[in-house]
Amino acid sequence: MQIRKSIFTKHFLLLIVAIAFINVATAQTSKFKSHLDNNLSLFGALTLNNQSVNDAGITAPINYLFNSVNNNVFKPGYSGGFRYDGIYNQKHFYSVSFSVNRVSAGTLYKNKYTQAPFVDDFTHFKADNQFTTLSVAAHYKMLLPVNEMRKYKFYAVAGPSLDYKISAISAEHLINGAGNRTYINGDLGAEFDNKGYYVLYAHYKLGTNLFSSSVPTTLNRFELGMSIKVKDLF
Amino acid sequence: MKQLYTLLIAAFTLTLVACNKETPTTQTDVMNNMLTNKTWYLDYSVTGSTTKSYVGQSTYFVSYLKDGSVKDSDGLTGTYTVELINSKSQIHVQVKTANGNPLEVFYNIISVGDSKMILAKQVTSGAATQMYFTNK
Repeated sequence: MQIRKSIFTKHFLLLIVAIAFINVATAQTSKFKSHLDNNLSLFGALTLNNQSVNDAGITAPINYLFNSVNNNVFKPGYSGGFRYDGIYNQKHFYSVSFSVNRVSAGTLYKNKYTQAPFVDDFTHFKADNQFTTLSVAAHYKMLLPVNEMRKYKFYAVAGPSLDYKISAISAEHLINGAGNRTYINGDLGAEFDNKGYYVLYAHYKLGTNLFSSSVPTTLNRFELGMSIKVKDLF
Repeated sequence: MKQLYTLLIAAFTLTLVACNKETPTTQTDVMNNMLTNKTWYLDYSVTGSTTKSYVGQSTYFVSYLKDGSVKDSDGLTGTYTVELINSKSQIHVQVKTANGNPLEVFYNIISVGDSKMILAKQVTSGAATQMYFTNK
């Protein structure tokens, strides 16, 4: 019952944060008069996630059987948030987005140890493979000369993003200074704007720890999502 | 000003959501969780170049319980703690022998996991015996 209460409290707090950001962003929208075609959209995405872990810096004498923790696949997650799209100086397309991401990741452990003659193939570290992050991204969008650009627009997208882990980190993940909440990502992707009704997008994010960690982690993610303008929804 | 308050509330809320860090007991807590409420059976012992196997035989076993008590197949009972001394992980066992005499033993933890554990009994001279346990 206590666990349910804490989960409820956590999600309630997250909701407050999301509402606060939407409130501020909506208020700011009207102030960017030098930027053309301002609009605020809500988006949702399905994600595929994989992380690779280098536990060479762990000194704790702990073993996890390699085959029970190593799972080098992409696992599904989801994300949702809002984004602000604009055009700077009538020629530079950009977007800024805020999102909450639920990450469920397959994990590749780069190091494998043995303790002859008895314990074969183990790792010293077990990474959390389910966590929640808050993310902020700034993307530059290049309009591609594809099709009839007045109706259907295709964009190539690139830019940085930052993820901050807001879910609790397990003690196993905190050991020997391994705990690290912040990831910086490089994003690449493509977007399709259907006459301004909605945008379909596919992004690839390659992330790494922003601050040094005894267990450097690389986070690979694919996002497939759709955004719809707030003014069309409400 | 109203927006500033909103942002302040949001930032404060974030600090409430995320606030767990490594503590001095994190490592011993993790090892304790792996060790406790299990019975560990001795499969092999290695002293120098001599390896003895106890697999498939009646063998020594020891149980570490969550309340900090320990009992083994020799009938010894007592208490234990997992400690980190000079960056080395140890199990500190205090038991009473059948005669009622106190016995204190330190085991260096070579490796501990959910199902496999390797301990080395601390000795003052000679090669330490490494004991390979399995949790069945």
